[in-house]
Amino acid sequence: MAEPKLRVLMVSDFFFPNFGGVENHIYYLSQCLLNLGHKVVVMTHAYGNRTGVRYMTGGLKVYYVPWRPFAMQNTFPTVYGTLPIVRTILKRERITVVHGHQAFSTLCHEALMHARTMGYRVVFTDHSLYGFADVGSIHMNKVLQFTLADIDQAICVSHTSKENTVLRSGLAPGKVFMIPNAVDTAMFKPADVRPSSDDVITIVVISRLVYRKGADLLVEVIPEVCRLYPNVRFVVGGDGPKHVRLEEMREKHSLQDRVEMLGAVPHSRVRSVLVTGHIFLNSSLTEAFCIAILEAASCGLLTVSTRVGGVLPDDMVVLAEPDPDDMVRAIEKAISILPSINPEEMHNRMKKLYSWQDVAKRTEIVYDRALKCSNRNLLERLSRFLSCGAWAGKVFCMVMIIDYLLWRLLQFLQPDDDVEEAPDINFCN
Amino acid sequence: MVSSSLSNKRYTYIHESESVLRRGAIDIHHVIINRSRSTGYARRMGLAFFLVILGVDNPVVLELSVKWFLCFDTKSEASKESCSESVIIMPTFGIQLETQYLRKTVSRFIPIGKILKPVLVECVTPVTCYIRVSLYFCEELRPPLKMLVPILKELCAVIGTDQSEMITDEKHDASG
Repeated sequence: MAEPKLRVLMVSDFFFPNFGGVENHIYYLSQCLLNLGHKVVVMTHAYGNRTGVRYMTGGLKVYYVPWRPFAMQNTFPTVYGTLPIVRTILKRERITVVHGHQAFSTLCHEALMHARTMGYRVVFTDHSLYGFADVGSIHMNKVLQFTLADIDQAICVSHTSKENTVLRSGLAPGKVFMIPNAVDTAMFKPADVRPSSDDVITIVVISRLVYRKGADLLVEVIPEVCRLYPNVRFVVGGDGPKHVRLEEMREKHSLQDRVEMLGAVPHSRVRSVLVTGHIFLNSSLTEAFCIAILEAASCGLLTVSTRVGGVLPDDMVVLAEPDPDDMVRAIEKAISILPSINPEEMHNRMKKLYSWQDVAKRTEIVYDRALKCSNRNLLERLSRFLSCGAWAGKVFCMVMIIDYLLWRLLQFLQPDDDVEEAPDINFCN
Repeated sequence: MVSSSLSNKRYTYIHESESVLRRGAIDIHHVIINRSRSTGYARRMGLAFFLVILGVDNPVVLELSVKWFLCFDTKSEASKESCSESVIIMPTFGIQLETQYLRKTVSRFIPIGKILKPVLVECVTPVTCYIRVSLYFCEELRPPLKMLVPILKELCAVIGTDQSEMITDEKHDASG
């Protein structure tokens, strides 16, 4: 078996069997990196009985470390508790680059800290937007500042996300790359026979029915659109606390036959729901990168969306402010240009614009850039933490010094030569 | 007996087998844990130093610490005996697994017919990873009678058999 070009360790609390944008991103990116000839290993926490080593498609090796999640799928933050297992995995798999995902993942932050202590190159990808005002965001931003103070390179999924990450962490913008998410266009294809828009126009909404996803906007937009256009119907997929408000809206305006509520839609069924519609409506208030609109565009739907991160080309999307009147105007415009939309052509353009192979190639460039960064010793690295704050900087320095000492103690108790290297298993396709 | 061995700091592997020309020969594999005298000595000295520091101002604590240390030290002397695991492969018959502890040996025999597959398993703990050889084999369950009776009653109800005679016969067999 040929020696892999790079050996990458993807670390995050969020991976399969949990389902979401971050999980999909890690999986698809890993698969494409494997196709490019790299070795990829994923490290995450155990999910129920799923613990130990598993192999996924293409030989993707996943370590489900038996650290139980304690809140919102996050591992309990022990700061130094994960040092032994991270060191063991890095040595066993002969890792060259550690790639952490998601600012909200405690396992990611700890693994990146330990990897930097041991002299590995680290890359971080931020998938979400965070605020600045509330207690949770302030705390999260401080932790992010600590982690990113000593990072080699960072990746954000949109320009919006890049601005947000740079402001929150104080990271130099030159260190942050923007690599958008992609969509699996093989899975999201237009319908063989497009439903006719002459009699009925179907607007599809698929999202979690929560405040952040603009569910309150839907409550005002849907009745107005139904009033203006008698031939428009809505299909709403998803569940959440705002489900009740939408049901009340349906009852109040007697729209039971024009607004269909599907409830939670499994991701495997999303495409079958999307292809029944002509227009996709996204009302998110804030989004780092909205993959849902990519999936809709890949299925050939014209998109009406608020101005969130990861927006499509101008001829595929009609943008609106997060205001009910503006959204109604955007829907009106979308209905007027609907006859000129060719779903197949839209799907083919999406294939070229948003492919995971392209994301993997761009990520490879980031890895190469990270490997070229100079390796600083502990004292040089400590100076980076001092700029994190008058007191926080000193605390961060102490944390790193203790981490360094613990690493040296581990090396004394179990020398690097005693850590057995895991054999590379070649999966023939 | 043909034998080979491999050794590193922590383990020693010994392979014993009869001549390869003879079919059906027994194959024995041993893995022995090496315990270093110097590591044990350094550990005991470090612990003694810590206990002295702990009890330097308190004679009662010092006395208890010394007694505990002496008790621990006696046991740790005995633990110098290394543990080992052995796999005795008897072709067409079965596999004997033995684990030698300080004062006892635990062994288990698995008939060849019950073995499904030997596999290499990568195990992950909260602090480390290691590889081990595992045997997949099928095993019959033998629960007690009082657990089997409800199952029997349900099956009889479904099939329509009179279960009272069957249970009476079983009681006679048990008492006889």
